[in-house]
Amino acid sequence: MEAATARLGRGKRRKKDKSYGSEERRLAALLLSPAMVVIALVAAYPIGYAVWLSLTEYSLRVPGKWRFAGFDNYTQAFGDSDFWAAVKNTFIFTGISVTLELAIGLGMALAMHAAFKGRGLLRTVVLVPWAVLTVVSAITWRTLFEPNLGLAPTVLGKLGIAENVVWLGQSGYAMAVMVLADVWKTAPFMALLLLAGLQVIPDDVYDAAKVDGATAWQRFRRITLPLLMPAILVALIFRTLDALRIFDLPFVLTGGTNGTSTLSLIAQQQLTTNNLIGYGSALAVLTFVIVMAVSFIYIRTVGGNIKSLAEDT
Amino acid sequence: MMKTPRMLAALVATALFAIAGCGGGGDDSGGTPKAEKATQAKASGNVTWCIGKDTTGAFGTVVDNFNKANPKAKVKLLELPESADDQRRLEIQRLRAKSSECDVLGMDVIWTAEYAAQGWLKDVSDYISQNGDKFIKSTVDTTNYQGKNWAVPFNSNAGFIFYRTDQVQSAPKDWESLYKDAADNNGIVYQGFRYEGLTVDFLELLYSKGGSIVSDDGKKATANSQEVKDVLKFMADGIKDGAAPKAVTTYKEEEARRAFESGNATFMRNWPYAYALDKKSKIGSKFDIATFPGFSGQSGAGVLGGYNLGISAFSKNPSGSLAFIEFATKPDQQQIMATEASLPPVTSATYDSAAVKKAMPFAAELKTAIEQAKPRPVSPVYPQISEAVYNNVYDALQGKASPDEAASKMNDEIQKALETF
Repeated sequence: MEAATARLGRGKRRKKDKSYGSEERRLAALLLSPAMVVIALVAAYPIGYAVWLSLTEYSLRVPGKWRFAGFDNYTQAFGDSDFWAAVKNTFIFTGISVTLELAIGLGMALAMHAAFKGRGLLRTVVLVPWAVLTVVSAITWRTLFEPNLGLAPTVLGKLGIAENVVWLGQSGYAMAVMVLADVWKTAPFMALLLLAGLQVIPDDVYDAAKVDGATAWQRFRRITLPLLMPAILVALIFRTLDALRIFDLPFVLTGGTNGTSTLSLIAQQQLTTNNLIGYGSALAVLTFVIVMAVSFIYIRTVGGNIKSLAEDT
Repeated sequence: MMKTPRMLAALVATALFAIAGCGGGGDDSGGTPKAEKATQAKASGNVTWCIGKDTTGAFGTVVDNFNKANPKAKVKLLELPESADDQRRLEIQRLRAKSSECDVLGMDVIWTAEYAAQGWLKDVSDYISQNGDKFIKSTVDTTNYQGKNWAVPFNSNAGFIFYRTDQVQSAPKDWESLYKDAADNNGIVYQGFRYEGLTVDFLELLYSKGGSIVSDDGKKATANSQEVKDVLKFMADGIKDGAAPKAVTTYKEEEARRAFESGNATFMRNWPYAYALDKKSKIGSKFDIATFPGFSGQSGAGVLGGYNLGISAFSKNPSGSLAFIEFATKPDQQQIMATEASLPPVTSATYDSAAVKKAMPFAAELKTAIEQAKPRPVSPVYPQISEAVYNNVYDALQGKASPDEAASKMNDEIQKALETF
């Protein structure tokens, strides 16, 4: 009945909508304009300026030196093995750490979702690592893995594991510590996002499944996972983009040595340590482009999956 | 060239950081070193002194002493972070923006040429030519760039070999026997991490072999030499043969000090600050210090550290600034710095004072070490030269490059850095 009226009135209303809407839209634009100006100043302008700087040869090493360089900085970056090493390290770090965080975070979320005594306390305690500043936790991890004196190599050495390994001074091991520090810190964040997703799944769906004789695994696989997918996607995007821009962990833990240099780290080093404004900006822009590309791919592929999943159920 | 967005540069830098995880933007100062002189010292007006964190309170004492003695002037201490890299970054940010906030700049000796070349400092040659003989000569050399003096020495530094008297009878006479003793006992720890400290440790060995990385005129890289290759091989073999633990590649000063104090090392290369702390540790009665040995047949050589005080080119009160610098580098104030903060004085006379000898029982050795120490290459591109050194030394220590490869790459990178200026 309702649908029919709507269909009937459509032609007439659309015209009305248009004139009414344009006035509304004008007001909306007017109200939004101060915010837009602020965004243009603090976001669009700096991005544009960084892109502009990346097209110049501009170095504070040489007073007054400036020239338009076109894509020279980018050519230099693509021919620089340090750049490719940083790309590789950044993706290895992101891939491993985000996967582990998703698995552990999901486990934590499911555990915290179950009803038991002291649940509120647990939810609070679990968030402690997330609340610690990354730099502070990185320094803690560095101390833990300090050769000879650190707790980790001492205990592991006693157990006969990784004896004579200098954790932060060897390729592979250094990356492992970096991943560990990141997972420790951000798995609770992942868990919190997923927990929020779990809580909106209505109980009656599970009740109905139970009546139908679905096993716990079937309920997880057929109900929890599909309905949790949007929350997982959001959590994944958050974590992946953060991980791709990782800076503080390698900065504190290893200074980018032994296969842990990341894109943000090399851009920062070129900009502030080496004072190569043009080249550093090019690296920053490349980081930005990579992050944008990854988030685009994410939304395209995983976003599509969600739709089809939603249609299946 | 764009002019309008200059004012927004600072704002932009912050936003950039948020977007791509880094900072940038800024202002170029332009031109060759300005020869604007600061000659008159007049203790009046406001002066802001920017220097690294006053961890011991000694800087504050000197400022108070000055303000008490000069009622017409007021010096304010502006503390920068503890890490030298952060200090340099913050000073350069201010200087790039032509900020007059800092009148007197505390600079690591290796930044002086860079600041001077950028036109960020006032020429204090006249002051040095009148008062230079008060200072230890090697410390004055660090203030010189292109024949002029751009700063006044404030404190100096030189490394030492710390050794366990319960494991070796005396300080080894040359580097070869030191490494052999180290391999037979618990090893030597030094600053092997990829940073400025590794450049210093490498140069100490190289200088005592008579090698160099940059020609005397500062125009050509000289690192592709037999001496550089020999030293790289010596250091890499040291790790391979167990004279130094693999872990030194993660050590800065503090890590080395902790390893030595925990009893895990027979030798340590470190700065004098570690002495007082080591004395309080469990090995306090079991170690002694010595100046660097040389390679067999050659004499030892240190590398000069320390800080200089310069006057910002953008200072509104250069005469007041010079008056304060004059005060802070007087022997009595230098003595406060030595006794309260363990900062090695730059004035020769201070080393003879009883109070200094009591606070630094190694004062005589320290003075000798500073007199004999050589400066690191004086160049406006020193940070890039050092980067070329520590990156390649690190690769050699890690076994990622052979000594020959590392030496040749180091040479190319230094040459490239020199040519950018």
